[in-house]
Amino acid sequence: MTGPAPLAADRPDGSAGDATHGDIRKEMLAAARSLARSAPSPAAAMTSDLSIDEELTLHSIGWEPIELVYGVSLHSIPMGVWNWGQGEITYASSAFARSFAAATDRIHHECARSGGHGVVGVHVERTVDRHHIGVALTGTAVRPVGAKKLPTADSVFVSDLSGRDFTLLQGSGWAPLGLAAGASFVYAPRRSMGMAMKQTSQNVELTNFTEAMYTARESAMERMQRSALAMRGTGVVEVKVTEGPMEFAHHAVGFSAYGTVIRLVAGQHRNLAPRMVLSLDDPVRGVEATALRGT
Amino acid sequence: MTDTPQDLPEGASKRLAELEHGLFTSDLSVNEFLLIKEVGFHPLGFVMGSSIYHTGIQTRKWGQSQELTKLTEAMYNARELAMTRMEEEAAELGADGVVGVRLDVNYYEWGKDAAEFIAVGTAVKADNGVSHRNKLGKPFTSDLSGQDFWTLMQTGHIPQGLVMGTCVYHIAHRGIGQTLGSAGQNVELPNFTQALYEARELAMTRMQDEANQLGASGIVGVRLEEKSHQWGSHTIEFLSLGTAVVKTSGEVTLPAPTTIISLDN
Amino acid sequence: MDDVPGDLPEAAARRFSEGAFTSGLTVPDFAACLQMGLEPAGYVQGFCVMKWGSWQFYPGAGAYGGYGPSVGSTHGGYSESWQCPHGFVSAEHRVWGQNYEQPWVEEAWANGFTSAYERLIEEASALGAHGIVGLVDTSAPLGDLGVLEFRVQGTAVKVRDGPPPADGRPWTTYLAGQRLAKLIEAGYMPVSIAATVASVRVWASCITAYLTEGTNPGWTSQAVGAEIEQTARAQMAVRRIARERVRSQLGGDSLHGASMGTRERELGEGDADLECILRGNRVRRFKEFDPMPAPRPTVRLS
Repeated sequence: MTGPAPLAADRPDGSAGDATHGDIRKEMLAAARSLARSAPSPAAAMTSDLSIDEELTLHSIGWEPIELVYGVSLHSIPMGVWNWGQGEITYASSAFARSFAAATDRIHHECARSGGHGVVGVHVERTVDRHHIGVALTGTAVRPVGAKKLPTADSVFVSDLSGRDFTLLQGSGWAPLGLAAGASFVYAPRRSMGMAMKQTSQNVELTNFTEAMYTARESAMERMQRSALAMRGTGVVEVKVTEGPMEFAHHAVGFSAYGTVIRLVAGQHRNLAPRMVLSLDDPVRGVEATALRGT
Repeated sequence: MTDTPQDLPEGASKRLAELEHGLFTSDLSVNEFLLIKEVGFHPLGFVMGSSIYHTGIQTRKWGQSQELTKLTEAMYNARELAMTRMEEEAAELGADGVVGVRLDVNYYEWGKDAAEFIAVGTAVKADNGVSHRNKLGKPFTSDLSGQDFWTLMQTGHIPQGLVMGTCVYHIAHRGIGQTLGSAGQNVELPNFTQALYEARELAMTRMQDEANQLGASGIVGVRLEEKSHQWGSHTIEFLSLGTAVVKTSGEVTLPAPTTIISLDN
Repeated sequence: MDDVPGDLPEAAARRFSEGAFTSGLTVPDFAACLQMGLEPAGYVQGFCVMKWGSWQFYPGAGAYGGYGPSVGSTHGGYSESWQCPHGFVSAEHRVWGQNYEQPWVEEAWANGFTSAYERLIEEASALGAHGIVGLVDTSAPLGDLGVLEFRVQGTAVKVRDGPPPADGRPWTTYLAGQRLAKLIEAGYMPVSIAATVASVRVWASCITAYLTEGTNPGWTSQAVGAEIEQTARAQMAVRRIARERVRSQLGGDSLHGASMGTRERELGEGDADLECILRGNRVRRFKEFDPMPAPRPTVRLS
């Protein structure tokens, strides 16, 4: 199976950079000398949680990171909600929706305050607890280099796209709009499986249960879609679907889906015409520095 | 647009209707999304199908290694139901095929003797409006990633369907007694070996039969999975999966690859 | 470590094989450092063990029944309070709630970390190092002893033909190998690592307590399923404090490759202890912004 597409800068000789070795030594030397003489410049400090790869790809299309931004919210779930009942657990579904909306709203404001035109690389953390459902978003606000316009909270985009994915989509004519999410929580159908087993012969589908789970999954997806439509997006990419029973209440099952909403902003999609490469590397095995971390 | 098949839950038809208005959803990565576009397809929407199926074990003859045919049928039916519903959703969207199909099995604590079989993927359609459905007139399915789909199309082939063969096999207990007698020696356990061979053969043959029905010229990405589900260690399901492909009439556009040595870790 | 890259300079290869040199770097990172002209000088570490967890002796940190911490606690830093809207007082029903920063926790962490870091710098200076790469920092409790051990380690390096650091203190970074090379190519020079902890305590108001416990006494008109505003504000505040503190330490430099982690300890009845740790590389531009051309996408066949 082929892996994700690497980005190889075009070099005149078509190779991936043998020519840089001499250069990088000079660069390192220049950098060290500069540090030994300099004091920090008065320019505004940037904070970013993007990796250097992400930053380099953003730079290549004239964007830069400015600020680490976040948004957090949590909503309460009244006692007794998780006791076995019928159908959808509406309190939980709506607590999720409201927490997601409030967290997104806060990160929008943080981004606008920092002068960012949008947030990339958002890490989405959801906690579902017996008495509350919380959403925490963390990412880096970015903007075109030297942009002066101060954006409003409404006009910024939020996405969980990496710096690289953002660059690729821009190149093809697509722009991110925001994060769309949907969730639904349901009780497993009332009639215990044990009874169902005894009353049916083998080789049979358990239609009640199928219907309940299938419907819940579709609900979660549909809520995500509705959110995307409200943003007037063309599509949602990299949808992440999670599902599973609650740790504290095994008869309750939660389904969630979220992804980045995108819109075609160029007249039409621009093909990238990727080049096929055959890598001569063998996988490298070595001692990882992170193995030294105690925790 | 066909009416929503009776089999799909109400929630599905509402969701699919939204997708027909031009919004697409997909769990493809950005890379995969762009590569699908490169070969002239666009995503329509995330499609899914599921079925909760009784997987209780039938009475076993402890002394014999044998296929548990009722269970094999059950495993096959359950997955077929899930796949068929996913295909129906795709057909509802007017898709040519489904890529990136994932088959999962969920076990719930409240459902012993049953399991949920799920099939999900992204429905796609060709930009040029020419139908790319398979020989049976249904949307093709494949578990190929976006990258593999792109590469396959470059070689002049197109997926026809995800094909599978399954076999639930019970391995005789008596074999254990005999092995304990010879414990400590490095011997092959003929009962086990024989059983495993037979089971795998059955699974793979059934997969090939499915491919033949689709008129495929070959199967790519074949893999064999073994699961015990909730039956204990002497009953194993052998599942053989692959994507059946057929040569298209188009030209092969595979250019010579550039060789690189990556400097990245 | 037997697969030594074939193009290592002879001297380094000998040192490497003799075991006279130890490094936390992976083999590719090690090779990349040499290519950059960074010569490893040795593996350096700094430790510090701090007494941890007996906060009950600090003002405002304990449990005071329904009456909360001392009125108008000013510990410095962030603080917000909420009055009970219900108009009655009892031993169980809190009169007010408060979010407040806990500078004693933050200072203790800073002391522990800084001590460990300074010892690392000392070791590296003793080797005549110009910088330290591949830094790894941990803080972990030692058994049940109520102590926290801070540990910082990395590979000390010298820049071939390079100047010693102006103030005698080596520059430091979490990065090593290819990632460091790309950082330099992007026009940034590492100055030092930056790490800070922000600590906020939630002393729950009556409403927060009810919402967090999921109880909804009939006599309140509190909307069921409302946002737990006090805790949400504390979560936002703890992150903001960490970011602002690091920012104030940067001067005009930038924080690259940061990682922000938050931890919450629930203390019951809606009370909680929130901690946010922010780490990253403080870097400085040493040349004009000169981005590489847009990369060419590829699909790998194997």
